[in-house]
Amino acid sequence: MYYLDLLVIGLVWGCTYAMMALGLTLVYGLLRILHVAQATVFTLGAYAGLLVANGTGSLALAFAAAIGAACLAGVVIYRWVYEPVLDKPPFVPLVASIGLLIAMEDGFRLVFGPYGLSFTNNPWFATMLGVAGIQINLVQAVLVITAVLSIGVLAWVASSTRLGVGLRATVTDPAMAESFGVNRVQVRTATFLVASALAGVSGLLVGMLNNLVEPGMGGLIAYKGLAIIVLGGLGSVSGTLLASILFGLIESFGTVMLDQVMDRDAVAFLFMLLMLLVRPQGLLGKAR
Amino acid sequence: MLQVVDLAISFGGVAAVKGVSLTVGAGEFVGLIGPNGAGKTTLLRLMTGVLTPDRGRVRFADQDITRMSVDQRARLGFVMTHQIVRPFRQMTLLENATLAAGHALTRQPWLALWRTDARAAQVRAQQELERVGIADAAHKLASQVPLGYLKRLQVAMALALDPRFVMLDEPLAGLNYHEAERFSNLLVDLHQQGLSLLLVEHNLGEVLRVAKRLVVIDSGAVLADGVPSAVIAQPEVRRAYLGEAHA
Amino acid sequence: MDYYLSVATFAALHIILAVGLNLVMGFCGQVSLGHAAFYGIGAYASALLSVAGWSFPVAMLGGMLAAGALGIVTGLAALRFREDFLAIATMAIGFIFVGTARKLSWLGGEMGISKIPSPLSKHEYAWLAMAAALVLILFSLHVRRSWMGRAFSGVAQDEVQAQTIGIDIAGYKIAAFFLGTASAGFAGGLYAHMTQLIVPDAFGFVVSISILAMVVVGGVGSTLGVATGAVVLTLMPEVFRIINDYKLLVYGGLLLGVMMFSPQGLAGLLAQARAALRPRQEGV
Repeated sequence: MYYLDLLVIGLVWGCTYAMMALGLTLVYGLLRILHVAQATVFTLGAYAGLLVANGTGSLALAFAAAIGAACLAGVVIYRWVYEPVLDKPPFVPLVASIGLLIAMEDGFRLVFGPYGLSFTNNPWFATMLGVAGIQINLVQAVLVITAVLSIGVLAWVASSTRLGVGLRATVTDPAMAESFGVNRVQVRTATFLVASALAGVSGLLVGMLNNLVEPGMGGLIAYKGLAIIVLGGLGSVSGTLLASILFGLIESFGTVMLDQVMDRDAVAFLFMLLMLLVRPQGLLGKAR
Repeated sequence: MLQVVDLAISFGGVAAVKGVSLTVGAGEFVGLIGPNGAGKTTLLRLMTGVLTPDRGRVRFADQDITRMSVDQRARLGFVMTHQIVRPFRQMTLLENATLAAGHALTRQPWLALWRTDARAAQVRAQQELERVGIADAAHKLASQVPLGYLKRLQVAMALALDPRFVMLDEPLAGLNYHEAERFSNLLVDLHQQGLSLLLVEHNLGEVLRVAKRLVVIDSGAVLADGVPSAVIAQPEVRRAYLGEAHA
Repeated sequence: MDYYLSVATFAALHIILAVGLNLVMGFCGQVSLGHAAFYGIGAYASALLSVAGWSFPVAMLGGMLAAGALGIVTGLAALRFREDFLAIATMAIGFIFVGTARKLSWLGGEMGISKIPSPLSKHEYAWLAMAAALVLILFSLHVRRSWMGRAFSGVAQDEVQAQTIGIDIAGYKIAAFFLGTASAGFAGGLYAHMTQLIVPDAFGFVVSISILAMVVVGGVGSTLGVATGAVVLTLMPEVFRIINDYKLLVYGGLLLGVMMFSPQGLAGLLAQARAALRPRQEGV
């Protein structure tokens, strides 16, 4: 029974990471940028959602707010931070992103206080479900369902819609895609909208899961998200998904097994490092 | 000098090079040709160490170099130039060549730390730039000179390495008629001065004109090997290049 | 007086950290987002040695070698990874270090290591730190001029081409990591003995980013630039006391601003100013 608990927790976290990592992999595949500042979008979504939830009592509005705020932030970050430096060496957008993340984390702290905000009313958190003999709360279930849905929708969009095809074409050969009439700016904006929406929703959900929204909540998840996309094979969506689930599971089980030796984050990163040393191109990445 | 024995490699189940064996003696000027997709570039990459073969050996001057890295081979005097030029863009042509000319000083990182004198290397670099005819642009940044200059810079840098053997990967690609002619004349001069050359090239006209021996690759295997005029007349070669009707 | 001494000592320590990171990133083109881990390894190794009874010089040397050893391991890993991967891998090393130091009891866990013997006086630490900083600056300038520096430059600009001209990129990358991390280890050793108490959180990701900020603000690749960056970023919170509350906001903003408007940092601005003031020369 205990191991089943760990398994479920691992899967839930894996799904959380997956939503963050999907966005990161989309951005990387398109622009070769490690979008560390995704954490800011995540946290902003959480705060926006919480404020609206506490203010109106409506979860639907809260999610709308989370998505809206996140999408706005994501597109702004793209336009004002990344677009101007696309032609610079890779460390420039990366360091800019890190700078933004750190500044915004402090900004959240200054605006909303260092100890975080709680939900006045968190019904899903209180609702328990029995699954395969163990108890999980509704938030966890929703996380998993949302992740699965998002992946499904994205896969469908990628293969069957103009936008999806345009995105894949742009990733493979930007110049060629443009000569076929794919609008580069549209594709990029759409990518950031999707990535940000995923981050915003998962931010609100994680806030509900912990019953707390605090300034630093996005940071570690974003760093792990980066580790995940590297582990999965940069630019490979299926690799990212596989790596996300593995990450969640390894964290869950590894933390228990290595409790005397290292903390949860170290376990996760160590796993990534060891896997990469064995397979430098990532789980499903292409060999150099 | 260069001996390739049964070299083979496959990518995802497709055999790109199928057991090629080849010998190039000291002082030879060999052209390696073949139709598109024949495996010439793959073969070249196997020989220079960019790719590791699934099977077979590469020997250079009686040493087995199959497992050696590109830089190890370069330090042995087995040097290559790239199809797509990649100079150090933020350095001038002279600085590029100087770095190559200083190869004896950069062999060992911890010894390189204590050496600062670059004068001899700069003099040598200048000589090589003059030898290939680009000394007029010595102080221009590599990012600001035309392709023909960069191609010749590659040769200058290869020469500055005191090579025993130079392999050139499609050096004439992207050059116009005059530039290509000029470049191959340069190769002829270098060969006459004693350099051993292996030229992988698509520009048949120039290769036929300057190479002393021709090896034809098709579908990952050696199709013909001999004096250019004889090789070109062989029916299999004509078929490979021009299709059945011309065999 | 004590206060100024302390600030000066920390400025010197930060110079050592920044110039060391510059060796890795600016000279050799390898990205490192985990430099604080080497600072930490040096601190912990030297602290453990001192607490166990070894003399100060031995402890300091031990710190340097421990950090340098991990640096060599990192360099070896760097050979397998390309640039983006390396950034994340070095970040991972940082988290692994902190996460392990937090848990292992013989490293003191969350409480760290305390009561580290302190053989020098505050003055002596200050002088030692400043002397070391000066030595490292001179050494770094020397490296830049040497053939090692030239080779580094080739490796940083185009690895494949560097290999083609016979440069042992593996050897050079490992050398760069060793030099950068061993110096961080020295700084760590000094820090441990000076403060007599070290905790895991003193060497976390934020610290790595702070050092990165010093390098970036000063100008990646410029020894004097990053040394200046280190001094400026050390003094800033002291001079503008009110910044303390907003320290991370300012740091982050600074990183962002520099990247957007002057990616080459202060050194870049200086170079641009010089070029603008110099009369145009013909035929250059």
